Amino acid sequence: MNLKFKNKRIAGILTILPKRVVAFEEEMGNYNFPEKKSLRLKKIMGYNTHRIAAEGQCSSDFCIHGLQYLFDNGMLQKDEIDALLFVSQSPDYFMPPTSNLIQGHFGLKHDMICMDINQGCAGFELGLMQAFMLLEQESINKVVLMNADVLSPKVSIHDRNRNPLFGDAAAITIVEKTNDDEDIYVAVKMDGTGAKSLMIPAGGFRMPCSEETAIEHEDEAGNFRSLNNLVMQGDDVFNFVQREVPPMIQDLLERAHLTADDIDWYMFHQPNKFMLNKLADAIGVAYDKMPSNIVENFGNASGVTVPTCISFNLGEKLEQESYQMCLAGFGVGLTWAAIIMKVGNLSFNRIIEY
Amino acid sequence: MEELKSKLAEILEEESVEDNDVLEEFDYWDSLTILGIISMVSEKYKKTFKAADIRACATIGDLCKLILG
Repeated sequence: MNLKFKNKRIAGILTILPKRVVAFEEEMGNYNFPEKKSLRLKKIMGYNTHRIAAEGQCSSDFCIHGLQYLFDNGMLQKDEIDALLFVSQSPDYFMPPTSNLIQGHFGLKHDMICMDINQGCAGFELGLMQAFMLLEQESINKVVLMNADVLSPKVSIHDRNRNPLFGDAAAITIVEKTNDDEDIYVAVKMDGTGAKSLMIPAGGFRMPCSEETAIEHEDEAGNFRSLNNLVMQGDDVFNFVQREVPPMIQDLLERAHLTADDIDWYMFHQPNKFMLNKLADAIGVAYDKMPSNIVENFGNASGVTVPTCISFNLGEKLEQESYQMCLAGFGVGLTWAAIIMKVGNLSFNRIIEY
Repeated sequence: MEELKSKLAEILEEESVEDNDVLEEFDYWDSLTILGIISMVSEKYKKTFKAADIRACATIGDLCKLILG
């Protein structure tokens, strides 16, 4: 699905990370593997430390902390928010929407749209797409996009193939109208036949959590997890990403009349260094244009990895400079999406801790 | 065939591998190695395999047959 927008911009990005740093070695003893094998995994996948929320801290807590920071520092005014988007797979409740809870927490105006979007790995691109669509309306001038996931409670600590790569985080991106009429090219694709490649089997209405779903079983690779835990078919996801993402990027570049070299930064979702380097090879991009350092520093927080990648690698530089960026996310759904747009001259681009 | 075997040896971190070598007996036979093989085969041989396809092989010979077959 090809979409195109004009007169929209990202005005600021704030990434909020948990204070707690957990090193790969600290958790190695939980895995049913010799140390030598685990260290080899660490090296090849690029694992090192990840950020884990404190017990009881939810996705929305990081969003509230970030919004309060923006209000307190005069970086965002409460009454200018026309829409509040919460993109997450770790909401506070099944009902009500977490975006409404956050609106209520701050007592924001009633004349606004709150919307929860259930998306993960491509959550930043899907969130931006929704923000751009809302901004087509005359009455909407500023959208606050919140990407947040605290999935660590759902990942088995005895699962070597999943636990070390995940991290918790949130990001707040301000999206607004602009007179600058540069085109924004968006591509989105979905394949629900692969929906179970990444899932948390129990805990919803289809399979409520019970004593049985909490029992850990060993899988064919020697990992232990229960039906309450997040599971990802690594081989299916790897094959899907290598098959679908490079042609999507090539097609998007053609639509934008750009070559791969014209893009200053490829800010991609961060599953692990191995997969990102393979993607860079397939697209024909130098590794230094596609940062792959988020998993090793903070872990993969699904839709939050792209804004984290922008905040961590460009920081204040993006407050002075502007770059042609290619953003991309791919995973749960299966959903894969990419955006080519200019990003720069932001009012803020930083990381805070909570 | 020899080129494939040298690639497999590289992924398994072995000097060399032989047809009769049993996969389960390699020090580094694990899910990471299997992903490495899937990735290498997709790059060099333009073929897609699932982890279960690779796991169904018992020896290096079986694996070569699967990949080149």
